[in-house]
Order: sequence, then C-alpha cells, then structure tokens
Amino acid sequence: MLQSLKKTGRCHVFGDSIPLDEGVMAFSFAIGRITDPAVLIPHLFEGIDPSFASRVKPGDFVVAGQDFCCGKPHFQGFIAMAALNMGVLCGSMPRTSLRGAISNGLPVLTGWSPESLPIADGDEIEVDMETGMIRNITQKTSASVDPMPLILQDIIRHGGVGGQLKVWLDQHPQLQLQPGAAPVLQQDIPIKWMKGSAS
Amino acid sequence: MGISDQKDSLPKARAMTATQKMFARACNRDWVTPGEVVYPNPELLIIHDGFVETAYKELSGLGYGRITSPEKVVFVTDHEVSYSTPRAVERGRNIRSIANAWDVEQFFDVGRGGQGHIFPIESGLVRPGMFLMCYDMHCTNFGAVGALAMAVGPEVTSVLATGTIWTEVPHTVSIRLKGQLPKGSHPRDVGFMLAHGFATGRWNLKHDYRVIEFGGPGLAGLQLSDRVALCNSVTEMGVANVLFNGPPPGISVDGAPDFLSDPDATYEATIDFDLCDIQPQLALPGGPDRAASVVDHVGRPVNHAVIGSCGSGMYQDFVDAAEMMRGRRVADGVRMFVVPGTPATAKRLANEGISQVFIDAGAMILPSGCGPCAGGNMGPLGPGEVSIATAATNHSGRFGAKEAEIYLGSPLTVAASALSGCLADPRQSLSQ
Repeated sequence: MLQSLKKTGRCHVFGDSIPLDEGVMAFSFAIGRITDPAVLIPHLFEGIDPSFASRVKPGDFVVAGQDFCCGKPHFQGFIAMAALNMGVLCGSMPRTSLRGAISNGLPVLTGWSPESLPIADGDEIEVDMETGMIRNITQKTSASVDPMPLILQDIIRHGGVGGQLKVWLDQHPQLQLQPGAAPVLQQDIPIKWMKGSAS
Repeated sequence: MGISDQKDSLPKARAMTATQKMFARACNRDWVTPGEVVYPNPELLIIHDGFVETAYKELSGLGYGRITSPEKVVFVTDHEVSYSTPRAVERGRNIRSIANAWDVEQFFDVGRGGQGHIFPIESGLVRPGMFLMCYDMHCTNFGAVGALAMAVGPEVTSVLATGTIWTEVPHTVSIRLKGQLPKGSHPRDVGFMLAHGFATGRWNLKHDYRVIEFGGPGLAGLQLSDRVALCNSVTEMGVANVLFNGPPPGISVDGAPDFLSDPDATYEATIDFDLCDIQPQLALPGGPDRAASVVDHVGRPVNHAVIGSCGSGMYQDFVDAAEMMRGRRVADGVRMFVVPGTPATAKRLANEGISQVFIDAGAMILPSGCGPCAGGNMGPLGPGEVSIATAATNHSGRFGAKEAEIYLGSPLTVAASALSGCLADPRQSLSQ
C-alpha cells in the first residue's frame, strides 16, 4: 500500500474540455471493452497528440484545464494512466469521471489554474495530494489547492477500489468464496473491471 | 478542489436542502455539507439484469462468495424480458443462480416487477425520504416520490461487497416553476428545454452532479407521471438527481422522514421557469439536451414509434396517448410499440379498454420493461430508419442500428406522429 501521496514527475499540458472519448482514448477501445493496459497505453491521447505515447514516461503528470475528461464515462484512459503510475492535475473534472479515475487508482487533484501556477510542457512538478501543495520545480514556483479528501486518499493508497475490496474481504472472511462450492454461472462470461456507462 | 472531507462540527439547527437531509440520515449524522465526501448507507441497492452477471464475476474473481447486506439488494429484470437469443436465456438462468447464491430475496424476475424505475414507485418499494443506490443512472425517477437514489454504475460491486461507497454530497439548484402547461405540451417538453438550456449555458450554471430541485407554484399542476417524465428527461445531461419540494401526488407520506427542503435552505442557484411558455419539443437524435420545437421538424417521415420505458411508462402516459388515438389508425409503414411500465399498469390498461384502443389503432403491446430503449432487444430499429419515442435517451445505437435516428418526444407527440406517419405537432391531433 502506498504510504506517501507526494508525487514528482514531468508534465504533459493540455487545455480545457478534453473529452474521454477520442481525446484521452479512442471510443473503439471502450466499446471493445479493452482493459489490458499494455494494449491501451500506446493509444493514450492519440486523438489529440499522436506522439504522446512515445514521450510519456512512468510517473509523469497530465496537467489540464477545466472539465478534463468530459463526455461519456468510458474509463480505458484511466486504466492506462494508472498503470503508468501517472498523476492528474487539472482545473476541474466531471464527477462521474473523477469517480472512475479514483476507483481505478489514478490520483487526481483539481482546482489548479494556469493563472495560479504557470506550468509548461516538460516542466517537472511535485504534487502533494495530502496537503494540496504544488511545486513547479523547473520554474521554482509554488501554489496550493484544496487537498484530496481523506476518503479518496485512502482509495488511492490501496491502488483503487479493487485493492480496497481485497482488504475488506480479508477483514470479513465470512464473505469469502468457499473452496469446492458448486459453480454458479453456466458459462465463463468475459468481464472487465470498470465497464463504461450505466444506462 | 470542490470536494472535501467530512465536517462534523457544524451547528445542528442550520437549514438544509432535502438532499442534505437524506444524506445526513444515511450517514447517521445531523448535518452534511455539499461538496464533502461521505460513506452513506443506502436502504436499498437496485441492480438490473444487464449487470448482475458482471458484478458476480468481478466479486467472485476477487474471492467473494457472499455479499454484505443481501436483505437490501434488489434484482430487477427489465432490460431483456422476452428472451430473443440463447444467450438471454442463459443470462436469465445465471441471474437466478446468483440470486440464490447471494441470498437476494428481493428478486423481480421477468414478468414480475416490470420496469425497474417505475414499479418501485407504484408498489411502494421506494418511499418518500428514502436514500438508496442503484446501478442505473435513470434511478433519478425515484425523486418523483421524494426518494434520493444515487447512481453508482459499475461500482455497484463495491456496494454489494461492503454495503456502501464513497459519495460526494451534491449541490442543489432550485428551479421554481410557475404557471400551467398549455394543452398539448407535456413535462417531457419542459425537461428537454431545461436540458438544452443547461447544456448551452442559458443560465450560466453548472449542472454536473447537481441535484435539480423543482419547487414553486407550478408544481401543483404536476401528476406523479409528470414528475417521472421531468426527472427522466433531464437525467442524461449529468445531474446527480432530481427532487421536488412538495409532497408526491397520490403517494402516502404517513410516517415518512423529512424529505423536503427547509424554506431558508441554501441553494447553489435558483432559476424561475414559466410553464405557460412551453411549446411541444423534440430531442433531436444524439441526446435529450438537443431540444428543438416540434413545429420546426414536422413532416419528417418515421418508421417506428414507442410509448413506454422509464421515461413515460405510467398509466397516465398511456391514457393521454390513447385519448388521441381512439378510433384512429397508425399510419401505414409505421410500427408502433406500447410498453406498459409494469404488469399492474398493463392489467389496468386492459381492464379499462385502453389497450384495446392501441390494438385497434394497429399498435403492438410489448411486455413490461425497458422496451426498445435497452439497446433494441425488443422492437429494434434498422439502419436508416427513424423513430419517435418517449425513451430515456436517443444516442446512436440505443434502439439497435447505429445508423438509425431516434427523436424523443412526449407521449402526445409520439401518438400524433404515429398517426400521421411523420413527426407531428400533437396540438393538431388534439384539435381534430
């Protein structure tokens, strides 16, 4: 489990209203129910920055403006970013998208604006999710936003909701699947952890 | 960041919105602040047939054989009720097995409850003041009776496992209705106009994850089915919920906990909205927020017409449409489907001769459930076809073929269009 929620990384800066579909990840991966990060990572931000995948390094930050990850709640991009151990700093994010990001273990801090702390592509920043302190190491400037709520910090420390559910099960052994129990399903149905929108 | 931690030390006597009251009760607290993140305990958890297998698979994959509070869990089969494929038969069998394995006793199988956002209202399963969680976003319908149902989507698995999930207390926007709807106009027309207004910045207000609370003198003219239509038609734009600041018509509130906002509650914003000005609307293909006046689109030929779904599947919706269709025929080339929301409504429509009106007109009556709106499992659209429907939404592929067009309208607009074979202004049919 993660102990510190302070992250340092290089920034990839985007503007306002970047949509999930075709912005963060092509819709075809959502409708195809693709959840393998190895398949998804080469296509991150492909629609708006075709060279992104060749530049991104594990631990980097995505910095974006208002309404980041708007549109239909398809979370393939979050799976890819979480697998790269990335962080997100943005102006705002629709609540359904924020839920998807946090649940997939992707730390997100909102409330940033370019006016409060200018950040350029390639800058190195340090973000402390617990305190809301943001330092632009490259430009030697800093600013602060509201910290990540404690409940969300706890989910991120567990690597997302899946990690939390494993802990819950350890604490509640009466819920565990009994060895040798008769199979419940008639057929092996393909699954994925975070399916698109509920409709 | 707009969301924050729990704040326990605030005064108990401060005025609260209905949303705050229902959240506070679910958190066993005296007060919650909009924007804070909490772990509320829902009284019910409703999941439909489209996700039960996936939820089981995910949880059993993590090692779960049981769930935390099976007595609160409700399974509803409404998306695919008349199995049309071997896979659907298999899914039905699996859902029954899962209900058994998880001890889910509140299981409304095919032909039992009906549409999962309507029958809980009609049967009293969902009551005024109740706080619940649901898989499907259209659970906002329950705001019609004064219940707050939070949609959790795929994370319903967390609620099944642990009994709760992190939830932000939403802010509330108050819409004060005044006046009465003109004849031929309908609350769905209001909903489309509001969704369009929010989406296009008419009031320069945020609607993402807000509770829309209707109040004002105009509320008095709305029946329960009107409230449901209003809840449903603004949901897809991304609101957290829809509530009404007045007792639900025809629903007992005896013994109900407080589910209304205090007079001096703090809203994020307040809008005044005059019902007298509302003309019949369509939602153009692509989303319920794409509102346009019917008069601007009259004459577009249609192949398919639907009254029903969670949007408008209550008794009064069918009575209103039947009144227009009595003694008339659906136009040649149009296949019309009528989908009573519940078996109870289907029975009442049959007993009162209303089903006969639809059948005489050449419409087909489908079993209770979501009808074509669940991806076209029943009565689908083909490529290049055009539908007019009371469905919850009209995104590409919602009724089957992606290359089809779905217009949304009120039951009156759907009936008028089915009769004329093209998009039609219901006021013309009502005056004939």
